[in-house]
Amino acid sequence: MVRPLVSLLTALTMTRVAAADPIEMAAGPERNKDHTVTKIMRGPFMTSRLFSMPTADVIGAYMLSLSGDGSLLQQTGLLTSAGVLAIGFGDLAQLEYRHSAAISITGVNAPLPGVGVQVKIPIPEYANVPVFGVAFRLGVPRTETFGGTDVIEQVTDLYIVGRWRFTRFDWLTLHGGTRISSAAISLGGDRDVDKVKKTLYLPTAGYDIRMNPSARIVGEVALAPQFHWMPGTEEQPSIGYGLLGRLGVRWAIVPSVIIDGSIGYQLEVANAAPPSGADAVLQWDIRLGAEVFVPWGALACRAAGMFCD
Amino acid sequence: MKKSCGLILTTVLLTAAIARAQPPPPPPPPDEGGGGDAAGGGGSGSGQPAQIGSGSAGDAPLTGGDPSQPADPYATTPGVDTPKKRVGPRGPINLPEVLTTPTGWLLPAAVIYSRTSIDTGGGVTSDSRVGLGDVAEFGLATTDAVRERDNLQDKQVDRIQPYVTASFRVGVAEDRLFDQQPGVTLGYRKSFERNHDGYKTRIAELTLVASKHLGPNAAIHVGGALWDASVEGSIDGDPDARREIALHEGPWSNKLKAFGGIEVRPLPRSQILVDFGWSPEFCYRCSDDRDKIRLRPTLSWGVRYAVADFMNIESGVRVPDIASANLLDAQIFGQVTFTSWALRRAVDSLK
Repeated sequence: MVRPLVSLLTALTMTRVAAADPIEMAAGPERNKDHTVTKIMRGPFMTSRLFSMPTADVIGAYMLSLSGDGSLLQQTGLLTSAGVLAIGFGDLAQLEYRHSAAISITGVNAPLPGVGVQVKIPIPEYANVPVFGVAFRLGVPRTETFGGTDVIEQVTDLYIVGRWRFTRFDWLTLHGGTRISSAAISLGGDRDVDKVKKTLYLPTAGYDIRMNPSARIVGEVALAPQFHWMPGTEEQPSIGYGLLGRLGVRWAIVPSVIIDGSIGYQLEVANAAPPSGADAVLQWDIRLGAEVFVPWGALACRAAGMFCD
Repeated sequence: MKKSCGLILTTVLLTAAIARAQPPPPPPPPDEGGGGDAAGGGGSGSGQPAQIGSGSAGDAPLTGGDPSQPADPYATTPGVDTPKKRVGPRGPINLPEVLTTPTGWLLPAAVIYSRTSIDTGGGVTSDSRVGLGDVAEFGLATTDAVRERDNLQDKQVDRIQPYVTASFRVGVAEDRLFDQQPGVTLGYRKSFERNHDGYKTRIAELTLVASKHLGPNAAIHVGGALWDASVEGSIDGDPDARREIALHEGPWSNKLKAFGGIEVRPLPRSQILVDFGWSPEFCYRCSDDRDKIRLRPTLSWGVRYAVADFMNIESGVRVPDIASANLLDAQIFGQVTFTSWALRRAVDSLK
């Protein structure tokens, strides 16, 4: 009974080599007064997300990350967008304001705002053993108005995610987890309908393939809360599931700036057969975005001698 | 109309005048008999002939491809050596389109591509793209390939233009994963909604295409496209009743189509191109819903002449609907493509 456990621990000890990406060996550049700005901006930097899914990593201490992306074509006249502002809080956590994926009653992937904290579970990292992280996002209500009716949507999330790298396939990283989502929708204005709440368990998975030192092909598939209500009817609002998928590239054009580009797919799977299948490519969209890292600690050290290592 | 015809004629004649001069084939370099660089499709070979303005082998484009992969047969190897200076990566690339259909080759990272085309039908189109990380590209374009007619008996098939589209393609360069692997791209193109004559139309296309060099002077492209399109308006003849219909509501045979192309280089700077694709056609007042959105087969052939490593001119013939065998509908087109490594150099300098 004990022998397999001992073998496992021995194997883990023998292979205690972090299978980390070369550009992600450390979160943030060194905070050294002698470093030039050019050297500081060369990183290394660590991202804490795929496209919309958080990963088990954090951006690191004395770091700030600004992200944004937008859909070009999802709906005429509407440029949906999502953004993240994350600030490193020590080596294991980050505070963030972000827009979480959700599908509004118009059927559009219109992310909902939230504030939260993301934590990397502080366990040693071994080769071929996954690491885990937890992210909590407190939803901020978003109001849409249809005629005289206000539709208030809100989602609060708890993510439990893992990241798995392999020494044999060092170009591949797998990500997976569950999003426990507490969604609520209510009507106001000329309608007064009690808040409808639902707790959803939403699996999420993704991968990234390192194609070259600066670019990765990234794919992710996730279920997301989908709100239903038909404006102008007496129908009660409801909450269901929607499937979102993205495939694209994350390209570090320079170490501190990552350009995102992806094609996305959205399928309604709530309560009934989807009205349009995957062949309805008119419903797909193209998203472009970017993530910018600001090593404010290292810059402050360089400029004023503060926050140095 | 006369003015535009004159303009088109002048452009075609000027293009032909520039294109007719063919330099003799350059002697093969002592260390290699192949062509030049393969930037877009993937990588540059070491020991390849120097390109215009390029420096030593250390300046070879870093396109994500394996340096050991075969040379690009379409490199515009200069006839004479030019003074060399170290200016960073640049050079000819494998282009992302044959004439009208996509290839399995992607633009190298941070390389900008621009194509402007005019034709005898009065169509003017443009296509601008940028390579993302050697594994993807994003582009905005206008196309005149989308056509409209009132009914099936209507002999006048008009083009809806400009029709603005955005595209995103992701893929793997040729020989990147294993030897003899074709370049493969998954592309998505979608139009912004077009409101024309009271009808709102949109198109979208998901493509998977593979491109493979066949020896030093030929390449083949084969792919499949899943098309979708929609039209909203008074499509039943009643001006008060608006309705939307989409191509994806129909059978798969109406929306899943194969396309392809061939490139042959008989002369160092010149290629002969043939491609076969599909174009959407809206028929607003057709009685049968299946006829309201149709894909029509399009055949194009022409030549590409590499004026410089950053510039190509192309001219040829496009038959928008070969199924109708109406050659009167064919258009002679001329187009010019530019590729620029300037952004790439700027990015590299930042690194």
